[in-house]
Amino acid sequence: MRSKSAPWVLMAPFLLLFLFTMVVPIIIAIVQSFLTVRRSGLVGEDGAVSHFAGLENYLAALTNQNFTESIARMLLFGVVQVTVMIVASTILALLLESASAKWPGLFRAAYFLPYGIPGVIATILWSFLYVPGLSPIVDVLGWVGIDVDFLGPSIVLWSIANIVTWTYTGYNMLIIIAQLKAIPGDIYEAARIDGAGPLRVVTSIQLPLIRPALMLTIIFSIIGTLQLFAEPQVLSTMSSGINSEYTPNLSAYAYAFQYNDLGMASAEAVIIALAAFILSAAALGISNRLGRKS
Amino acid sequence: MRPLVPRRTALAGGAATAAALAAGLAGCAPTGAGKVNAEAVIPPSDGPVTLTYWAWLKDLQKVADEFNKTQDRITVEAVWIPGGNAGGYAKILSAVAAGGGPDIAQVELRSVPEFALAGALTDLTRYGFAKDEKAFDPGAFAQIKVGDSLWAVPQDTGPGAMFYNKEVLEEELGLTPPKTWDEFRSVAEEVKKAGKTLMTLDPGDGSVLPLWAMQKGSVWFEPKDDTWVLNMADDPTMEMADYWDGVFSDELVSTGYGPFSTPWYAAAGDGKVLSYVGGSWGDALTETVPGGKGKWAVADMPRWEDGYASGGLGGSSAAVLSTSEHPAEALEFLRWMCTDPAGIDAMIENSGIGWSPAADYIGKKRQQPSEFFSGQNYNEEVILPMAEGQSLDWTWAPLMQRIIDRLGDGMLEVVGGGSTFTKMLPQAQEDIAEIMRKIGLKVEIAK
Amino acid sequence: MSTSSTASSSTTTQDPSTQSTGSPGAGSGRATRAKKKGRETRTAGTKPTTTIIVTALLVIVALYFLVPVYWVIVNATKSTEDLFGTNGFWFGHTFQLFSNIGDVLTANGGAFPRWAANSLLYSGVGAVFATYFAVAAGYALAKYEFPGRNAIFAFVLGGVLVPGTATALPLFLVFSKIGLTNTYWSVLIPSLLSPFGLFLARIYASAAIPDEILEAGRIDGASEMRIFHTIVLRQLIPAIVTILLFQFVAIWNNYFLPLVMLADEKLYPITLGLNNWRAQTDRLPEFYQLTVGGALLSVIPLAILIIVLQRFWRGGLTEGSVKG
Repeated sequence: MRSKSAPWVLMAPFLLLFLFTMVVPIIIAIVQSFLTVRRSGLVGEDGAVSHFAGLENYLAALTNQNFTESIARMLLFGVVQVTVMIVASTILALLLESASAKWPGLFRAAYFLPYGIPGVIATILWSFLYVPGLSPIVDVLGWVGIDVDFLGPSIVLWSIANIVTWTYTGYNMLIIIAQLKAIPGDIYEAARIDGAGPLRVVTSIQLPLIRPALMLTIIFSIIGTLQLFAEPQVLSTMSSGINSEYTPNLSAYAYAFQYNDLGMASAEAVIIALAAFILSAAALGISNRLGRKS
Repeated sequence: MRPLVPRRTALAGGAATAAALAAGLAGCAPTGAGKVNAEAVIPPSDGPVTLTYWAWLKDLQKVADEFNKTQDRITVEAVWIPGGNAGGYAKILSAVAAGGGPDIAQVELRSVPEFALAGALTDLTRYGFAKDEKAFDPGAFAQIKVGDSLWAVPQDTGPGAMFYNKEVLEEELGLTPPKTWDEFRSVAEEVKKAGKTLMTLDPGDGSVLPLWAMQKGSVWFEPKDDTWVLNMADDPTMEMADYWDGVFSDELVSTGYGPFSTPWYAAAGDGKVLSYVGGSWGDALTETVPGGKGKWAVADMPRWEDGYASGGLGGSSAAVLSTSEHPAEALEFLRWMCTDPAGIDAMIENSGIGWSPAADYIGKKRQQPSEFFSGQNYNEEVILPMAEGQSLDWTWAPLMQRIIDRLGDGMLEVVGGGSTFTKMLPQAQEDIAEIMRKIGLKVEIAK
Repeated sequence: MSTSSTASSSTTTQDPSTQSTGSPGAGSGRATRAKKKGRETRTAGTKPTTTIIVTALLVIVALYFLVPVYWVIVNATKSTEDLFGTNGFWFGHTFQLFSNIGDVLTANGGAFPRWAANSLLYSGVGAVFATYFAVAAGYALAKYEFPGRNAIFAFVLGGVLVPGTATALPLFLVFSKIGLTNTYWSVLIPSLLSPFGLFLARIYASAAIPDEILEAGRIDGASEMRIFHTIVLRQLIPAIVTILLFQFVAIWNNYFLPLVMLADEKLYPITLGLNNWRAQTDRLPEFYQLTVGGALLSVIPLAILIIVLQRFWRGGLTEGSVKG
């Protein structure tokens, strides 16, 4: 009989926190996203009342060109950056786990190091390497006749992608390495008896077996991409290419704290969360289908 | 330990409580004007008072210290925050929404109605600010007034003027600074022929459009009772738009980089970019053009046959926030800072503010010839008449930040060749009306 | 999953450095077995030219990861003038690292040490309690049969997928209603929750804790809480370490939550404080040197911590990903 209440006692603090800091805010966001404000007076000085507005905020969010552009921008960013990062993490993991690598411990530590540097500080560091006049990279490229403006409107997205890749490649690599280490040795042995070369081992044993780890890293990266905030926010004061709605999150933040439209901010937050769900589910679905095929 | 309630019930009950709690909180979330402007005025305090003041002005504490020295009842503490759109506004508004924040905050003149809309400001007419009107420059005072309310204390303004490279324009090219916009065009053509640029514009920055429009005599946002009347496509505006369409299609100004950006300084230092037409605070920025000392000068803003001598670009106010517990003391300090010669001089000396907001004091430092600007006494000779020649009818709308952003997007389109100012402005007006309606304001588009 | 896989991967965690020598016990089944199997298969991967190419590649990649850190070390020694006037990849004319660091520690009335202490407080306290709560709940979900258990797990798992920023704004509204914004609590309370920690703890607990131990404890008359605190926690140490580190870094790196919640500079963590300094460089060039020095001071301890603790990351994450 004791064990009936025990799990609830053990779970109580977690569930209370979950309720208070996740469930309640999510419900508020949803409620808020269906409300708009009716004001009287020129600047609302004679009072303001919230009222139910149906899907008005959602329609406004989805027809807000800046917001839809920011989503499209993040999709482009995600497709390129997540792919580059996951491929790089996988290659680095395979190389470090191959017998050909010298000092793997040293390299692993060097690659993982940026993960401990907060995104804001990483952005500050990289911004010094981007800003003309301060950046030795711009200087060096200038000597060989290449003029780049890392903060220019067309390039700044990829300058941000570089910061994100720099921060998280090592972290994802560690997850993949952990999974590689968990592959039982007999599988390799069997492959070798079948006469499989190193490339064959990679494609038919290692890659399929690290699929769960790859899925984990891809899903976290997708969520991370949709949450992109600190990097563009810090760079926005240095780059004319970053407006106040450059990413979906910046947009929601701007509506909440600059544009004075909580309903719109909430609708955008809900859309961001839904997009994260859908993309994660799609990633899982694709992975399962691939898994069944092989 | 035995559960007192069956688990399922407890769980369902918990969820229901959470939902009710959430709905309740959402329902009474901060929406619009704080109630403070309907409650009784807060009487001045008997004892000593400490005021906090958030601003991105440089060395503001030194200005506050000057005031703190003059009396022992009020102590002002300045705290630096990032510039408005660089995060400062979000910080102020979230602090106010949370019921805290400073007593005074820096708010750009054009953002004042937006802050009033957010319920973040104290209406200063309730503390007798209306009788101070005479002490202020009318052009400055007009910009903090919406309907009958006074929402902030003007701290500095930016009457438009033209800062130009006299050595290159006059001596090298034999041209004179344009007095009218038509002359501006022909001068720009000559400058272009010489392989240089008269002026550059940051195409993403929409804030020059209101400057041009208000000089031409348009009033884009007009409060009528409780309705905002939009006038962004009236005849003066369209004439102005048509003019700039011509300038842009002939590529007479450069849109590669904005004024005072790193490449701008490089080009200005080389004598490739010859002028800046904008707010008077451009003087301090122009003074850092490499090797420009003694070569630059200041002229009137080019003007139209009708309309006004100048318009305003930029400028800030010091606003008393709705969460302040000492609005009377805050106003007392701001009166000193923004109208007392000691306050004005302290702001010019330490914080390098724009044009003085006071009625008849432009600052001691500004009553003498400038070495950088060719020995010209430009403040008294040029800026003062520019300040006096501004339109007093202009009012800023709420949501100016979004409006400027929308105009910037439109300008990018124009620069990209996808539109013209004459097409873009009426479209922007439709969008802006929609945005203002969406947050619950009454809007009409003038016919 | 069987406990044997747990055992094999926990040996993996013990020794990351000996792997290249292929010593037994390094857990790299491939290397060990290849050695046993014979020479020709092993040499296939270790031709000297291959080793040189692979290592060269790894060195180049390492340079990329270390360049910003190198830049900040070099430039923290410069005067503001040299920062702009000399090439960023080498030292300037003056070496004033120590006076720069001194400035960082004393500027704004000692703001930087205060931000560092705040960051430690948020991350330390947050991570310890978040881990304890997540492990307790994860263990309960793994080892007790009760109705609703799968529903709760699915619900919490959904929580992992909700972007933290989507909840931060409404949470701000809740906190502002009850007067918690702009307090230490406003950052600490949301940091106490780690759905990902629960996810790892549940997986690890179901693999690493045999029912027999729990039964033995019950027969001895120990209460469920006592069993958890004395027996279970010890078994879960690898998972606890992983969750603790994960949560510590997650809170340390968080920017959005404190940005939304905090107005008072005295409550700032390092991330917010340093960015405030950076924002002032526009008008006040002396802040460049403070920002660079501050960045150096905030990068170095974390870098050391990450390198030292790197090995602990693997064990627990293996568990999470193998079975997840």
